[in-house]
Amino acid sequence: MLRLITCQNATRLLDQQPDRALLWGPRASLWVHLRYCPYCKRYAKQTVLMAEWARAAASAREQTGPALSAAAKERMRERLAAGA
Amino acid sequence: MTPSVPIPAQWPDRYGDELFRFALSRVSDTTVAEELVQETFLSALDGLATFRAEASERTWLFVILRRKIIDHYRRQARAKQVSLDQISEGGATEADFFNLETGHWADAQMPASWLNADAALEQEELHEAIQRCQDRLPAQQGAVFAMRFVEELSAEEICQELGITASNYWVLVHRAKLQLRRCLEKHGLGKN
Repeated sequence: MLRLITCQNATRLLDQQPDRALLWGPRASLWVHLRYCPYCKRYAKQTVLMAEWARAAASAREQTGPALSAAAKERMRERLAAGA
Repeated sequence: MTPSVPIPAQWPDRYGDELFRFALSRVSDTTVAEELVQETFLSALDGLATFRAEASERTWLFVILRRKIIDHYRRQARAKQVSLDQISEGGATEADFFNLETGHWADAQMPASWLNADAALEQEELHEAIQRCQDRLPAQQGAVFAMRFVEELSAEEICQELGITASNYWVLVHRAKLQLRRCLEKHGLGKN
């Protein structure tokens, strides 16, 4: 059934959408809501962007982060030798 | 060339930097990242018999580290586990973002346009901003967000790992996203 939904409900549905397919009713309600609510329309894009940026930020840090200190490597070598 | 037989004594020099950077990209704490790498090496040492020579030693160590990182998120989330009603952990709830009577955005929380987000912040600044904002999330929300969007686990896997219900998971994801969005705007998005 098509129901008018609030922004709170619309944003909840937007955050559930990537993980589970919405039933016809909630999907249609969300579609209608996004037609008239510019703020939720922005949120719909931003919630996707945030997920993409978090992934990209972690990937970038994998490449550019600092190296393991010489002292930490030495400690690890000692632990490995003790456990071997 | 990767030797077919692992030589544990060489792991810190051979793979330490790469594993450490990977761990640090997830936990943002040097000491914790070092511990995760050390635990990875010790678990690998214990499991040497399970190593298959046809696999890359590096890949094998990364698989172990990823598991350690998931375990870290689980400990982080469980250390401060609270009931659904208390999920705010002193942080924001949906009532801080929406008008309680109408369910529409509260005036001060209406999302600004991020149309010029790329122009507003350099990519490096954007990455730093999202990391800082992630670090500020309450423990459970931060763990759920990282597991879902950085480690790319499914909702079902996360519920299983954390021992939470699907509805609890949805509340955590939604609140994490709402808070991240607001935090990013405080860091300059949507203000140009």
